[in-house]
Amino acid sequence: MIGYVLKRLGLALLVALAVSAIAFFLLRLSGDAATAIAGEGARQEDIELIRKTYGLDRPLVVQYVEWLWQTLRGDFGTSLYFKTPVSALVLDKLPTTIVLGLTSLGFALLVSIPLGVLAAVYANSWIDRLALAIAVVGQALPNFFFALILVMFFSITLRWLPVSGSDSWAHFVMPTIALGYYVAPAFMRLVRAGMIEVLSADYIRTARAKGLPARSVIFKHALRNALVPVVALTAVQLGFLLGGSVVVETIFALDGLGYLAYQSITYKDFPVMQVVVLLLSVLYVLLTLLADVANAWLDPRIRVA
Amino acid sequence: MSSLQNDVILAVDGLSVDIATQRGTLHAVRDISFEVKRGETLCLVGESGCGKSMTSLAIMDLLPKGATRRARRLAFAGEDLSRAGARRINALRGDRMAMIFQEPMTALNPAYTIGNQLVEAYRLHRKASEAEARERAVHLLGKVGIASAGERLGQYPHQLSGGLRQRVMIAMALMCGPDLLIADEPTTALDVTIQAQILRLLADLQRELGIAMVLITHDLGVVARIADRVAVMYAGQIVEEGPTAALFGNPRHPYTRGLIDCIPVPGRTQPGGKLGVIPGVVPSLVGDVRGCSFRDRCAFAREACAAAPPVHRAPDGQSWRCILENAA
Repeated sequence: MIGYVLKRLGLALLVALAVSAIAFFLLRLSGDAATAIAGEGARQEDIELIRKTYGLDRPLVVQYVEWLWQTLRGDFGTSLYFKTPVSALVLDKLPTTIVLGLTSLGFALLVSIPLGVLAAVYANSWIDRLALAIAVVGQALPNFFFALILVMFFSITLRWLPVSGSDSWAHFVMPTIALGYYVAPAFMRLVRAGMIEVLSADYIRTARAKGLPARSVIFKHALRNALVPVVALTAVQLGFLLGGSVVVETIFALDGLGYLAYQSITYKDFPVMQVVVLLLSVLYVLLTLLADVANAWLDPRIRVA
Repeated sequence: MSSLQNDVILAVDGLSVDIATQRGTLHAVRDISFEVKRGETLCLVGESGCGKSMTSLAIMDLLPKGATRRARRLAFAGEDLSRAGARRINALRGDRMAMIFQEPMTALNPAYTIGNQLVEAYRLHRKASEAEARERAVHLLGKVGIASAGERLGQYPHQLSGGLRQRVMIAMALMCGPDLLIADEPTTALDVTIQAQILRLLADLQRELGIAMVLITHDLGVVARIADRVAVMYAGQIVEEGPTAALFGNPRHPYTRGLIDCIPVPGRTQPGGKLGVIPGVVPSLVGDVRGCSFRDRCAFAREACAAAPPVHRAPDGQSWRCILENAA
């Protein structure tokens, strides 16, 4: 098991490195950094001067290696727009996004796993149809629209929750629901499909032949096997969560990484953009690694590979 | 009288299994009755699709979705299971009656260790501690011929060969010391050499522990070696039943005769000579099935076979469902 984890960790590092290179070159292709730094209406000589001062006239590969070296040492540069170190900026926003990601993932799993199990155990019954309806609505509703409905209902009509900000746990409730409901349907459908398949497996009949009660057959013998693909999906869905958090954070003025990404793109703030993209991708790689390890724990057959 | 009744561990009376299909109701098992005494081995034989497996699953209340059972009486140790609730069935299953399945490769849960799956039933039914249950598991793994049983407990099913897995399944079925063991073609999926080992193991354990066994098979060679009594199934019915020696020595039903003729016998079957073949195919069991279901393939068929054939009984306990009163 430890050998397996180390192997996956090595692979994850390689992927992170590749992503950092791709992110660097893509961003450089998307616009001229020197022009962005110089600002609007700058003269050509000023731009050339800036290009020399910042070393932007050197080959891209050299610039990348230098940037990577600095980044690895913890020097992320300075934001062009906020005029503060990028590291401080990112560290300030990161916890909000992580908390939102975890709570919305938790909310999605908490809703979708029991619902998926119920839908599978009572397949083709009214419970199944209700679960399907919930999933279809979740998939069809754009999350900014759902977020606005939540605001109308909970903040304006009922006056239970604050509309925007990120000062207390109450500020996270609606963003969590909006973002969680956005990823829950995929989980629910997968749990349902997995459970239906697993429940007809031979080993489920063996478990029943032992005289085990239904809850033990369903939750011990069936669910664990049905969850293997769900864990793999979790990593993919976390990517959606990170993407979705840009929209949701902006709507609720939740001051996190997603909102920062949005701002840095708007202001062509290259140093911030680079670090945010790198950070999000490293997070994504780490989560995929976690999913792989969790899968190996759930299904011992994977550990050999 | 009461001692005689206590002697019978399983009494099946008028069991039918229907399966809903797209084309209509399939009558997989049609009104069969038989008894199994304590410590006795009954073999259910017949071709694929004759209802052997459905019969065993119906007794254990493990029929797949879409299949329903009816019975006048399904008595286990005198208690009618056909009227028992799910809780009562669960209390008996895995404790007093246990089952081994055809496919050892898929019958064990891939996500849990052998040890975990072995102790489950014992802990549940005997309210035993983990340590007691593991001790019992090690003892039984030794009994089914698995070396270094202690280490095996920590292994997963995919680390074991098919033969070993079937041995684990047998040990698992024996954990609570059941009165009745149903083995549904336990060797069909295994190599020929392993088949013989597993069958000998089952026969030895059955004798040693005094368990009643219902062995389902299509291999008459197996039947001749380990059965006390045989029931031959055809198209969802028991067409002939009796003590093994009587049934093999004097088969009364044309189908039984045909089955026995299909077995090669050293010394009698000529090299290059033809084995017996039963012409034709098994009739469809969808919709109404009338008369003798074997009549389309039977050399002795006559007009009277279109009506339900009578059941004859010989003094030695042999019974057969045919218009012929004597051996075919």
